[in-house]
This record gives sequence, C-alpha cells and structure tokens, in this order.
Amino acid sequence: MTTLLLRAWSRYLRLTTHWPSIGTIVPFIPLIVAWWLVTELQVFPRVFLPGPAEVVRSFGALVYTGVLPEYLQDSIVRLAVGSFWGIVLGIPLGILVGLSQRAHKALWPVLLFFQAIGDIAWLPILVIWFGYGLTTMTVVIVYTVIFPVVLNTVLGVRSIPITMHRAALSLGASRTRMLWEVVLPGALPNVMTGLRNGLGYGWRALIATEIIVGTSGIGFLMFDARRAGSVVEILLGMIILGTLWYIVDSWILAPIERATGQRWGLVTK
Amino acid sequence: MQARRFLQAEEAVMRHWLSSALWFCAPFAVLLVLWAVLIPYFEVNPRLFPHLESVVQAGLDGIKDGTLVRHIGASLMRVTVGTVLALVFAIPLGIAMGVSPAVSSFLTPPFRFFSVLAGIAWIPVASLWFGYGFGAITFVIFNAVFFIVTYNTLLGVSTIPLQVRNAAASLGAGRWAMLTEVLLPGALPNIVTGIRTGLGFAWRGLIAAEMIATNVGLGYMLFVARDFYKTEVIVLGMIVIGVLWLLLDRLLLAPIERATSERWGLVQRA
Repeated sequence: MTTLLLRAWSRYLRLTTHWPSIGTIVPFIPLIVAWWLVTELQVFPRVFLPGPAEVVRSFGALVYTGVLPEYLQDSIVRLAVGSFWGIVLGIPLGILVGLSQRAHKALWPVLLFFQAIGDIAWLPILVIWFGYGLTTMTVVIVYTVIFPVVLNTVLGVRSIPITMHRAALSLGASRTRMLWEVVLPGALPNVMTGLRNGLGYGWRALIATEIIVGTSGIGFLMFDARRAGSVVEILLGMIILGTLWYIVDSWILAPIERATGQRWGLVTK
Repeated sequence: MQARRFLQAEEAVMRHWLSSALWFCAPFAVLLVLWAVLIPYFEVNPRLFPHLESVVQAGLDGIKDGTLVRHIGASLMRVTVGTVLALVFAIPLGIAMGVSPAVSSFLTPPFRFFSVLAGIAWIPVASLWFGYGFGAITFVIFNAVFFIVTYNTLLGVSTIPLQVRNAAASLGAGRWAMLTEVLLPGALPNIVTGIRTGLGFAWRGLIAAEMIATNVGLGYMLFVARDFYKTEVIVLGMIVIGVLWLLLDRLLLAPIERATSERWGLVQRA
C-alpha cells in the first residue's frame, strides 16, 4: 500500500517538474472535492454554501447571457487604464524623488502619509467631486497603483551605489545617458516589485470601488448578488477574481520581476 | 570620562532624531498653511472641500461628544480581534505545513489563491453569512491576515536550509527545541513580513467593510458624512485613518520587521 502511494507520489513529482502548471492545478482538486462533499452532506444549509456544480451552472448561464464577459471586460479595462496612468506618473516622480535630495526631503513624508490614507478612504469625497462613474474609479486605481510604484522606485534609485554614479560621470556620461544607462537599469528590479505590488493593491481597490460605487464589473456582480441573496454568484465572482489575478500574477508579473532581478538586480543565477 | 563621552554620544543621537523628526513634519506644516490660505482665498465651496478651521472644529466636537473616539475604538477593536485570531491559527498551521517540503510545495498554490482573494473580495459573502456587524468585519480582517501569514510562514519554514535542521537534529534537539530554536526563529522574518502585508490589506478591507456593513467605525463615519455632504467630517476621517496607519506601520510594524530581519534574517548590521 505504502509503496504504491510512494510510487504515485514520485510519478506526480516527476510530472510536475516536466509541466509545472500541473503542480499548480492538481492541489485544487482535493479542495474542490472537499467543498463538494461538504455541500452534498449538507453540513451548511444549501442557501449559504452552494456546491461546485451550481457555481459552474451559474457560470454557464452568465456567460450565455453575456453578462459575465461584459463585466469582466469592464473591470479589466478600468484596471488597465488606471494602472497605465499610475505607472506613467509614478516612475518619473519616483526617479525625481530618488535623485534629488531636496525633493526627497520635501516629498517623502507627504508620500508616506498619503499612502497611509489608503485608496478606499478617498471614495466618499471622490464621489462628491466626480459622482458615480468611471472618473471616480480611475482616480482610485491611479491613486492605489502610484504609491507602491513611487516608493519602490525611490528605494531602487537610492540603492544604486554612489560609485556607479561617479564612475559613469567620470567616464563622461551626459545627464540623459546617466538616466538611461545607470539610474533606470539600476532601479528596474525595484520598479518591477513596486509595479507588482501596485497592481495587486489596484486590483483589490477596483473590487472595493465596484462594490461601493459601481454599476458594472465583477465587484458589482458580487454585490448585486449579495443584494439578491444569491451566494452562488458571489462565490463565482470570488473564484473568477482569484483565478484571474493568480494567472496574471504568477504567469506574467512574477516572471518579469524575476527576470529583471536576475538581469539587473542582486540575485545571481 | 567614559560616562561623559557616552552622554555626549547619547545627546548626538537625540539631536539627530529630533532634527529628522522636524524634517519629517516640515512638509506637513507647509501643506497646512497652504490649505488654510488657499481654500478661503479662492472661495472654494465647503461642500467640495472644507476649510481648515471647520475640520479642526469637527475634530474637537467629535472628541467632546465622544463619537470620534467611539468610531476609532470600534475600528481598532475589530482589527485587533481579527488579527490576533488569525495569528493564533496561521502561525502553527504554517509551521506544520512548512516542515515537510512535499506538503508545502503541494499546498502553496491554494494558499496563494486565497491570499489573492484576501480582504475585500470576502465582504459580500461575509455579510451574508454573518449579517451586518462585528462578525462580518472581523471575518474579513481574519481572512486578510490569515492566508497571507500562513503562506509566508510556510515559505519561511521551507527556506530554512536543510543542513541547519539536520545539524540541530544530529546534535540531539528534540521536537520542542527544534520548533522553538530552529523553525520559529528561522521563519520569523518571513512571518513578520507577512503580518505587515496582511495588516495593510486588512486595514483597507476594514475601511471598505465598514462602509458597507456596519453602523459604527471610521469607514461608516466617512460614508455617512458623504450622504450629508459634510466634507469636513470626511477629511477629518481621512486624516485620522492616515495617521493611525502611519503610527501603526512606522512605529510598530516596521521596527519589529527590521529588528527580526537584523537578528535572524540575512541582513547583517553594519
């Protein structure tokens, strides 16, 4: 019996080294089976905890009516637009604060404080200023994305050894070349970390915003379902959120972060 | 002689600390002055942005009639209860799972999945399961902290070099000594980082949850003020939220994180 189990386990390990994606999917199978068992045995009332089959069925229904693809698209577009502006504004600001001692003294405490206020606390006053709509959401996401990007860019720029600056300067590097060939590559690993954190926070902020002021999107789908008391759609929303972010984070952002870290950072292969 | 030199050094440290504290506060003084001057000068509608005096007045009123204190107390209470509960479960579970490399590599993806969902995404279902109020919000905070701390503990234990564990075992360390002298200290820097990140998400989740699912707390205070266009209360609430988190993060979490990673982590004190 034990040899059989061991042999199966070693087969599984060999499989996951060949195809790492299997290793990320298989662990969810026992989880789903446990969920199914709990709902079949009616440990909790069905209304409170529907089973996997019902969630899949509601997924099918929502895709068929076109609600889900539309909401998903809305959420992703909002996140993309917000992140774009967050990055475009955040990286230059971070480089400025990182390079100039004066800007650092004047802006760093303010940055820390405004980061501490947090995106969601801005919602009420933003609603007063811009009303319910795309502007409010975009501002919240830009606000969320920008701080991790700025703070990490500053850290990255300031962690470049001063000898590097001096070496480049004494070799006659101009200001633009300093920026392109010393400061930016030196700060890139940190910028990427900031970007990954920022997008993570932005994703959560988007959900909160859609729940509180939304008229469409995955967060709105969940909140609408909550109003109707339908746990199935809430669970579906959570699963979609988790899966989507998991894919984006572990298949796109983490490899980029690792790659820049290996290329320009302190980690050596 | 020695004592005097020590005192001088002490004094220099104090002076350095004082001047950096002053420099930290200076930009805020500038902002406050700008606020006090510019808003009345351009005659901004107080429904869009409040005057400095009215925010100070709102703060004083809130302290005098106790509402502000009650909201802050409720929010901090929820964070504390949720976090302590989460830590009590997360750290033992994380260590238990991290001890075996096979188990930890198998369980990493589900835990990553759930730490992605941390916090805000749980609000709708939490409010259905527990009803509006203390239970739902504590559950949201518990979730935000629990999965991230468990994941980080698991990661921390599994990154302890195997030689260290083997060395301890071959020197005759029992299970208890192994736990308290190898596994816990080795994982501690990761655990503390996890707590800091988790609390960051929990704090945001708390504000969002209080806007939706309760009738007391800072988030609720903000959201109700919006209904009456009381911008001075909104801005006051935002400042309180920012100051509280800054104090919590900079004076409590960041020093602990730095201390643990200096003591047990890879960073060496220069």
